[in-house]
This record gives sequence, C-alpha cells and structure tokens, in this order.
Amino acid sequence: MIVFGDAAEHFVLVAAALFTIGAVGFLVRRNVLVQLMSIELMLNAANLALVSYNRLHATEMTGHVFAFFVIAVAAAEASVGLAIALTFYRLRSSVYSDEADTLRH
Amino acid sequence: MTWWSTLFAVSPLVVVALGALLLMLAEALGRPAPAADGAVVTDVGSGRAGELGIGSAVVLFAGGVFALSLWMVGPEALPGAEGLAPYFIVDRFSAFFGVMLCLGGGLSALLGGGYLDEHGIDRSEFFPLLLWATLGAMALAGAGDLLTLFVALETMSIGVYAMVGLRRNGRAIEAALKYFLLGGFAGALTLFGAALLYGATGHTDLAGIGASVGTIGQPGSTVPAGLVLVAMALVVSGLLFKVAAVPFHMWTPDAYEGAPTPATTFMAVAVKCAAFAILLRVLFGAFADERVASWGTGWPPVLAVLAVATMTVGNLIAGRQESVKRMLAYSSIAHAGYALLGVVAAMRSGMGQASVLFYLLAYTVSTVGAFGALILCGRRGAEAVSYEDLAGIGRRHPVVALAFSLFLVSLAGIPATAGFFGKLGVFLAAIDAELYVLAVVGLLNSFLGAYYYLRVLVYMYMREPSPNAPRAVPMRSGQVGVAIAVAALLVVWWGLFPLSIGADVTAAGSAPMAR
Amino acid sequence: MSLVAHYLPLLLVFLVAAAICATFWLGGALVGRKNPTAEKLMPYECGNDTEGGRGIRLHVKFYLTAILFVVFDVEAVFIYPWAVLFKGLGWVGFASMSAFIVALLVALIYVWKKGALEWET
Repeated sequence: MIVFGDAAEHFVLVAAALFTIGAVGFLVRRNVLVQLMSIELMLNAANLALVSYNRLHATEMTGHVFAFFVIAVAAAEASVGLAIALTFYRLRSSVYSDEADTLRH
Repeated sequence: MTWWSTLFAVSPLVVVALGALLLMLAEALGRPAPAADGAVVTDVGSGRAGELGIGSAVVLFAGGVFALSLWMVGPEALPGAEGLAPYFIVDRFSAFFGVMLCLGGGLSALLGGGYLDEHGIDRSEFFPLLLWATLGAMALAGAGDLLTLFVALETMSIGVYAMVGLRRNGRAIEAALKYFLLGGFAGALTLFGAALLYGATGHTDLAGIGASVGTIGQPGSTVPAGLVLVAMALVVSGLLFKVAAVPFHMWTPDAYEGAPTPATTFMAVAVKCAAFAILLRVLFGAFADERVASWGTGWPPVLAVLAVATMTVGNLIAGRQESVKRMLAYSSIAHAGYALLGVVAAMRSGMGQASVLFYLLAYTVSTVGAFGALILCGRRGAEAVSYEDLAGIGRRHPVVALAFSLFLVSLAGIPATAGFFGKLGVFLAAIDAELYVLAVVGLLNSFLGAYYYLRVLVYMYMREPSPNAPRAVPMRSGQVGVAIAVAALLVVWWGLFPLSIGADVTAAGSAPMAR
Repeated sequence: MSLVAHYLPLLLVFLVAAAICATFWLGGALVGRKNPTAEKLMPYECGNDTEGGRGIRLHVKFYLTAILFVVFDVEAVFIYPWAVLFKGLGWVGFASMSAFIVALLVALIYVWKKGALEWET
C-alpha cells in the first residue's frame, strides 16, 4: 500500500478502521457512555497506529513511549468524563446527550 | 552552571506547578474533615474561596514575573535551555505566551475568588484546577513535539472540563458534558493525526516533521504526501476546535453560558490563546513548506475561508442573542476569526505572527475585563445575564458601567483602546500579505460587531428597567475590582501607546516556531 | 501485488474461522440431545440459587474507588521504564522521578483529606 507505509500497513489499516468505528460511533450514538467509549476507541486506535509505526522507525522507541503517555492521559480524561456523565445522570435520570437541551439561544 | 539556567528556563512552569501543589495541600488540609454522618460541611460565605483566589492569583502573577524576567535575560542567552528542545522550546514566543497566559489566568483567578464567594459556591477545587490548566496552557505554548503537544493540550482541557461543571446544577453539567464530549473527540482527532504524522515522517518533533515534509516530491523521498495531508487536516481540525473556529464552534455558546463566569473567562482567554500559540507552532514549524503552505495547495486557502466564516457567523449570531453572556461567547468566536486572519496573513507577511500576538494580548485584557464587569453587575441569586438586567446600570452605578463600556469599546475595536490596534495590526498584516479581500471582509465584520457591543451601552445608559423587573444591584468585591482595574489600565495603556510593546511583540513573533 | 491478492490470505482466514464456528455451533444444535430442566436453565452462580433481579444497583462508592485506582495505577506505568534505566539516567532522572512521585503523593493526600477514600460513610 502506498498510503500507510510498508511494514506496518496491516496494523495501521486496523487502527484506521478502529478510529473510523470510534468516530462514527461518536457521531451516531446519543448515549453518553457509548460516546465516551467511542472516544476511548479512537484514542486506542491512535495507540495501535503509534506502536505499529514504531516497527517502521525501529531505531528509537518513540511510538511506544508516546502510547504510554496516551494511556495515562486517557485514564485521566475518562475519569473526568465519567464523573460528568454520572452527575448528568443524577440530575436528569438520563444518559442521552440529546436530552442536554436546556441551553438554547 | 547549565543546570541552574535550565531550571530558570522553565521557572514559570515550575512556579505554577509548585503553587498548584501547595494550594492543593492548603485546600485539603485547611478544611474541617467531613462530619461523621457524612454530611458535607458547608462554609458558605466564609471567604475561603476569596483567600484561595488571592493565593492562586499570587502564584500565577509570580509565574508571570518569572516569565518576564526570562524575557529580560533573553531565552537565547541561556546555555541549558537548548537541551529541553524539542519537548519544551524556550524562546521569546513561549516567554511571551508565559506572561500572557499567567496574566489571563491570574485575572481569572481573581474573578473566581470574588465570584465564588458572592454566589456561595463552596467548590474551592476551582483554583488548583485553574492553576493546572494554566500550566497545561503554558506548556502547550512551548511545545515543539507532538508528545508534549498532546499531553499539554489534555492537561489544559481536562482541568477546564471540571471547571465548567463546577456548579452541580443542570445547566453547568450540561455545558460540561457538551464541552467534554466534543473536546475529547477533538483531542482524539489531533492524536490520530499525530500518530499518522509520526508514521509518515518518523519524527514527532515539529522541526523534524517540517524537514521531512520539505522532502516530499523530491527523488528518494519516502514521505507519503497523501498521508501527511490527512494527518495535517486531523491535527489542525483538533486545534481549530480549541480556538472555537467555525465549523468547530458548536460547543462554544453552550459551554460559555453554562459555566461559572470565571471559568468562562478562563476558557475565552487562556485556552484560546494557548491554542493559537500551538496552532502557529504547528503551521509554521511543521507545515511551513510551500508544498503544504502555498496559496494554491495546502492549508492557507482553507484557513482563509474558515477565518471569514468564523468572524461572520460569530458576529451575525452574536447580534441576535438576548443573553449578554451568550453574546460574549459568540463574540469570542468572531475574535477567533480575526486572529485566524492574522495566521493566514503570516504565511506571506513578516508581521503576521506579531499581529496575532498583539491581537491575542488585547483580546485577553478586554475579555477578562468584560466578563469581570458582567460578574460585578450581578448579585447572589441574581446574576446579570440578559440585556434587560443591565438596564439603567449607567445611571445607578456609573463606575461599573464605565468599566464595562471601556472593555466593550475595546472588543469592538474603536480607537484609543487596545482592541483597535489589535484589529488594525491584523488588517495591516493582511494588506501586507496582499490579501485585500480578507482585509475588507474583516473591516466590514468589525462594523457588524460594533452593533451588538454598543447595544449593551444603549441598555446601560439609555434604558430604564421595567418597574417590576428585578433591579441589578452590583456586588462588591475587592478582587473583582482589582482585576478590572488591571485590565482597564492595560486596555488604555496599549490603546494609547501601542508602540510601547511593538518591538517586544515583533521579537516574540519572529522567533522560529520549531527547532 | 494487487490489493485483492494481498488480502486474499486474510479473507481465507476469516472464511475458515467462520466455517469452523458455524460447524461446531450448528453441529451442537442439530445433533445434541436436549433435556431442559429448571436447574439447567438457571444462570450459573456457583451452585447457589440465584438471588435478586439482574438490575441491581451498585453503590456509587465502587465507582469512585475504581476511578481513583485506575488513575493512580496508570501513573505507575511511568515508573517501570525509569526503574529499568535507573543507572543510565543519573541524577537528572532521579530528580525528575522524585518530582513526579511527590506530585502523586500530594494528589494522594488531597484525595485522602477530601474524604474520597472513606469507605464507611
């Protein structure tokens, strides 16, 4: 394949597929928890791409180290996101983001 | 001693980080433990938020002083600073943003102290969050590597998500939810773009990416052009989301309106400025090669269209708002459009980047002041939100109204204020870059914008509140007063003597964006 | 090599896997004897009778503890590579990691004093 480079292409195709699934899931679904999972899926797709591209640029471990940082950041992001989703559920008894509609012009 | 000079090079960040840790300890240890039956002890109105607000403002201003002294010494004179590149680039650009972000963050902290006390919001974690978010913003302005870019971007964003949802009521949580979901999505876009860039070029540092991009099309180049374009689009889209540019602006009005006003201020000021800083670094550090940055191909035509769309949409919708806070949210979208105009102009004009920096500086002080004045116009349980709420303020509370007017006039870009020279610089840069159409569109837009800013003045000075409507009674707060005074001083100072910092802005804007 | 030829092996793997799955599942369903009793249809719970419905609500404190665990646990990931390369990184590495751990410690104190670790309240 010309687009994704040589050695890593299969892995990166999987990563691209995961990223697309995550992005489409985020845009299509209205359940906050599913949307949160979709974001995590996108981040993990990026991780997979980073790690597999590291095969292509194998002299250094940049891709692997990057993936570590992404995992740590994703954990922090998920915890804040879950807290917000939980508070939203307590107030509205709903986990659907299209019920977040009190703020309108 | 290179060691010490390295420490000095990052001292603004270190000061803010240490201050944040100390503040967290002070906040956690200084509070009575929860009662045994689990009831939360409330100390509403105890002035605690005020103390912490002053504390975090002191920390941030100290960080700003360190950044300023770094500027005085000259980052290029420090022997150890080069060793931090590309993860953190110590140059005039990052020192300049260090001062600007500390100023914006510190003033937001002062607003926060006054606001949380007045409205009895017993959530003093606001201040550590604000400090960490400012730290992330400062790191973002100095990031020369995709790794630090992502980590700093998320440090800033995660702090702000929590700040938005600080009040646990429906509107605030709804704002936080929207901001979080779209922000997380944008962050994921940026990250995947970064991963693809790493794959295409083998570099995560912006300078290395820039060099690889420069080899596209030459014999022997292994860099796939299509992949680089896709990656660039993803990274830049994620960043445009943070600056609230059309079409990535949908979250802005809701998040700005639902958030507590000091958090709104911080979002409008620090987050936007830091996002513009990294946008400049990415575009001119990694994608400055003419294969991706010429008028025929690459990002300039796209960004030019987005700049026009951003300012026009922002101004048109802002004029139709009934809530002043929401109007200011749309106006901040419009301001992102003017600054983007400067970014596009920087492609061909040497003064483009400097014009963006001055624009952001003027925007920072004017916006902090405007939101501060809006805070000051409301009381506990009766926040001033709509135009009606402000009716008659001019006669009954002349000082508040005068300050508010000054900031709005500056935002509108009327002469003798900082905002005027901010807009002038951007338009001159556009003319210098021979983008005459863009300059004219920008000029027309600023006339459009003047309408809704002046409408606030009309309500304050020429309308009386309807007899049975609740009258706006301004709150009293020394902290908010100080923040407004500082902002007003700077707005007037830079409005009368813009050349006093002209050389500094030029020096910051002409630093190489990546190394 | 064309795209189809390139991915033909992958497609074959998918087909074979699907065929094997289908064989076992259909084989069991068609050939096996069925003798359902009430006990056999119960959800498996270690030989005990099932208690309660399936919609039980877990207490929110599990959520808080789990989140705190995840956040602190993931941070520990950075300590492993540092420990492996400890000697090579020298005093700069030591100072950096000390700063990191101090920051984590402050976070722990914060969580503790805020009462997020109180299980019994």
